[in-house]
Parts: sequence; C-alpha cells; structure tokens
Amino acid sequence: MDNASKIAGMRKSFGKSLLYTLPMFLITFMFMTGGKPNFADPASGLAILTAFLLVNVLYFFMHYTGKTDRYRAVLFIIFALSLSYTLIHNMLEVRKSMSFSQADILECKIPFCHLVIPMMILPAIFTKSIIFPGSIIGGFANISSMIVLWLVATLVLGRGFCSWGCFYGGWDDGFSRIRKRPVIKKISELWKWMPFAVLIMVTLSAALAMMPTYCSWICPFKAVTEFEQVTSVESVAKAGIFLTLFGGLVVVLPVMTRKRTQCSFLCPLGAINSLSNKITPFTVKIDKKACNECFKCVGVCPLYALTPEDIKAGKVSLFCSKCGKCVDACSTKAIHYGIRGIPAGTMKNFSRNLFLFVSFLFMAVFSAGSIISTFQGLLKLIF
Amino acid sequence: MKKVKIIAGISWAFFCLILIIILFPGLNSFSVSVSKLPFMKLNPRYTGGEIANQIIVESCTLDIRKPVFNGFLKEKNSGFVQLDWHGTIPNTIKDSIDYDHDGNKDFCIFIDRKDSKTILYPINKKVISVLISTPTSYGWAVRVELIK
Ligand code: SF4
Ligand code: SF4
Repeated sequence: MDNASKIAGMRKSFGKSLLYTLPMFLITFMFMTGGKPNFADPASGLAILTAFLLVNVLYFFMHYTGKTDRYRAVLFIIFALSLSYTLIHNMLEVRKSMSFSQADILECKIPFCHLVIPMMILPAIFTKSIIFPGSIIGGFANISSMIVLWLVATLVLGRGFCSWGCFYGGWDDGFSRIRKRPVIKKISELWKWMPFAVLIMVTLSAALAMMPTYCSWICPFKAVTEFEQVTSVESVAKAGIFLTLFGGLVVVLPVMTRKRTQCSFLCPLGAINSLSNKITPFTVKIDKKACNECFKCVGVCPLYALTPEDIKAGKVSLFCSKCGKCVDACSTKAIHYGIRGIPAGTMKNFSRNLFLFVSFLFMAVFSAGSIISTFQGLLKLIF
Repeated sequence: MKKVKIIAGISWAFFCLILIIILFPGLNSFSVSVSKLPFMKLNPRYTGGEIANQIIVESCTLDIRKPVFNGFLKEKNSGFVQLDWHGTIPNTIKDSIDYDHDGNKDFCIFIDRKDSKTILYPINKKVISVLISTPTSYGWAVRVELIK
C-alpha cells in the first residue's frame, strides 16, 4: 500500500474490493451474455469471457489499489483500438476499403459519430432536419441512439465523457503515455480555449453550408475510421488535412508533451462537454486545508484543466474530464472525486465509489460490443 | 442550507446512477422516442428530395425527385435534382428530363454504365453540370446541379 492511498484510505481490503465489484460483475454479466451465456460457438464464448473478465478485473483493481486513472486508461485505450478495429474490419469486409463511396452518401449509409452533434444543432432548430447522411433509426451507429447515448453520458458525466466514454479519446490518451517525461514542457494556456473557437466556427460553417464541415474537412479520426474516397483535388486536400492533424495532434504532440493535445486544442464536442460539467452531479474537488501546494496535480493533468491559481482558489476548471490522474498523483488526497453540494474534503470514499460505479459501468457496457468483436477477430486469426 | 445542498447533490447523483443502469436496456425504446421528434428527419440535401415523378419503361423505373435548394435560413441559389434508376437497367441510359414539370424538356442525360461515363446535354439555362453519377445498391443515381 503506498503512502497516498494509506492517507486517504481509498484502498480497500481484498474482500471489500470483491464486494464492491459484485454489482459490476452481475450487471456486466447480464449485458454481455443477455443472461444466457452461450458457448456453442467457442470463439465468441471465449471472447465474451475475456471481455467480461477484463472489465471486472480492472474495476476490482480500482477499489483494491485506490488508483483510478491507470485502470480506467487500460479500458479506455482498448475501447479506442477495438472500435477502430471493428469498424475497419467491417468496412473491409463489406466495401473492401476504408473509404466510403458517393453511393454510401446518397443512400445515407454513413455511421453517425458523436462529433457531428455540435454541427447538427442550428440546422435542427432552424430547418427541423438533420444534416448528416446516416440512418435516423435502425442499423449500426444510427443517429437517434448515438444522440441518446451522448446526451445521457453528458448529463451524467459532463466532460467525464471525454475520459470514460469517447471512443476517440483513447487514441491521444494512449500516445500521451508512451514517454516517461515530456520533451515539450510548456504550451501556452491560451490554446485550451481553441476548442471553443473551433466549436463556433464549425457550428456556423455547418449551418451555412448545410453539411458537417468538421467531419468533411477536419476530423483527425478519419485516419482510424473511414474517409471519403480520394478521387478529386478536393478529396486529396481533405485527406492531407486529416492525416496531418492525426499525426500532429493525436500522435506526435501527445508523445512529446504527455498531454491529450487533440482533445485539449481541437475537439469541438469537448468544448460542449466542458460546459456540461456545470450541471453534472460528479465533480473533482480540492480540499484547501489538506493541500500543501506541491502542484503535482497541475503537472500530470492531461487536459490543461488545472493551474496553480485553480489549486489556490480550490476550484477545478471546467476542462476537467474526471480522468483521476491528479487524484492518483496527490500525496495528501486533497484533490478527490466529489458530489455537487457535498463540501470538499468530506465523504470522499462515498463520492468516489458512486462516481466509479456510474462512469465505469457506462464505459464497460458501451465498449463491450467492439471489444468482444475484436477479441473474436483476434481469436479467429490465431486459431 | 448546507444539508439541503448535500441531499440535493446526492439525490441528483443517485438519479444519474439509475439513468445509467436503465440506459442500455432501454436504448432501443429511448432511440425510437428520439427518432419521432419533429427535427429528426434527414435534410433533402441528404435524402435527395421527395419523388415527384416516376417513369416506368418495361421493368426499369426512373424516379425524378423534387429539385433541392434547401439552405439554412433561406433557399440557396444553387441546388440539384436527383434521378434514380432501379429495376432492370440497360447498360446505356438515355433520358430526357423535365424536372420542373412545365411540359418542356430541361436536359438530356446519357449514361454508359460499363465505362461509368455520364454526359449531360442542358436545354434549360438553369441546368449546370453533373454533380454525382454513381452505381448504387438499387441501380444508378445522378445528381444534376441547378441554379434558381
Ligand atoms: S475532446 Fe473530443 S475526441 Fe477528445 S475525448 Fe472529448 S469528445 Fe472525444
Ligand atoms: S483535473 Fe484531474 S481529473 Fe480533471 S482532467 Fe485534469 S487530471 Fe483529470
């Protein structure tokens, strides 16, 4: 047991940790097996079992070790990789390519992604219609179900969605962990307001052009999902932009800074999620009495959500994604998960237990489908 | 006051806990409800517009859709008309189209499906160019650019 966990008593005994894992165990069992485990197909049975054990072992260790971020990150990164694998695998099977054709657009067969949501808002209000070539209901990643998932996650987790639900965030989270020490130590704080500028720009441009401009021109994650067929000068330019942004903001800068630079400096949905932090019940709090102002938490925060001024003021900024990295790093446990209305420094264990259950359950169930199908694919490759 | 705040915070947190637990089992029915909201329909820029006229020749059907000029606050000056052929489509398509239903042909279109070659012969000055000409799962689709 390390010093930090001892001080705050976040770490639990083996038996108590098992007890806390039991509800997660039962609920994920129901979701992953539908209540009736079927081992008729050994590959799919084994894939379900592996995914089930993975999520429950990670959750158990969150309680047993008192650490949050490292176990969260494992599932978060696996989610990002497996979703890309599943999507690309399906596309290669169905279309024989990672690119979608004009016919796919005309027939409204493009899977919907939550990053489109900010661009839909104005046209939905003023034209009472959706500007995306996807399916309203039915089929893979349809618009209605993705809206429901994002809406509930944002209401409940706020920007926590960016560390517990977004299937893209795991990419720059993963790359930000590759080096032990950052090569670039200082980036101007002002850049963290950039997503709000991008949000305003893409919301207005999408309404004027009546198309999701961020998806068409900017989104770096097309590199790991799907993109427009490269058939014209315009599509070459688009491919150049998304590949450069992916290379720069998702791979190179996270490796050099140990920060999630795409999520910090570009994503417009991250900006909306930050605003929703104002209403969610779960927060990260600072107990000023316990804080010795070592500012370790400021250094480790991957989203530039903390400054020394924030710590002195006892407030975490609206950029916080509730990843738990600062909580794990704090040797006095002055910074901790909290619930709105409960004063900082009190009911820390209760708040953490409730937050972990809610956020981890969301991630475990949301990611289960793609993780299971990735394990299935890998098992088929091996045997 | 402090107690009220604590109780309100905890109640809100438990409400969210319940919301997350019922989210996935209830996802289908929540999604169906959301899909019925008045703004949950695709813009004609994506669907291609309503079918305005259908021409059936033997077992090949041509759908001529309503011209689409939909914009954000007002109609745009440029738009398109979408044509869809389905059924048993010949290898070469030659059709004359009256998209505005004024009794006069507005353009002729020639498609060689084997070579993926599409030639547009505009008659009406408002007909500009071929935006898209592509095979689809149901046959073939063309979007012709128009101005108002
Ligand atoms: S900032 Fe954007 S890409 Fe990053 S985790 Fe949040 S929604 Fe996803
Ligand atoms: S403030 Fe803490 S919990 Fe919030 S994003 Fe930064 S490290 Fe994560």
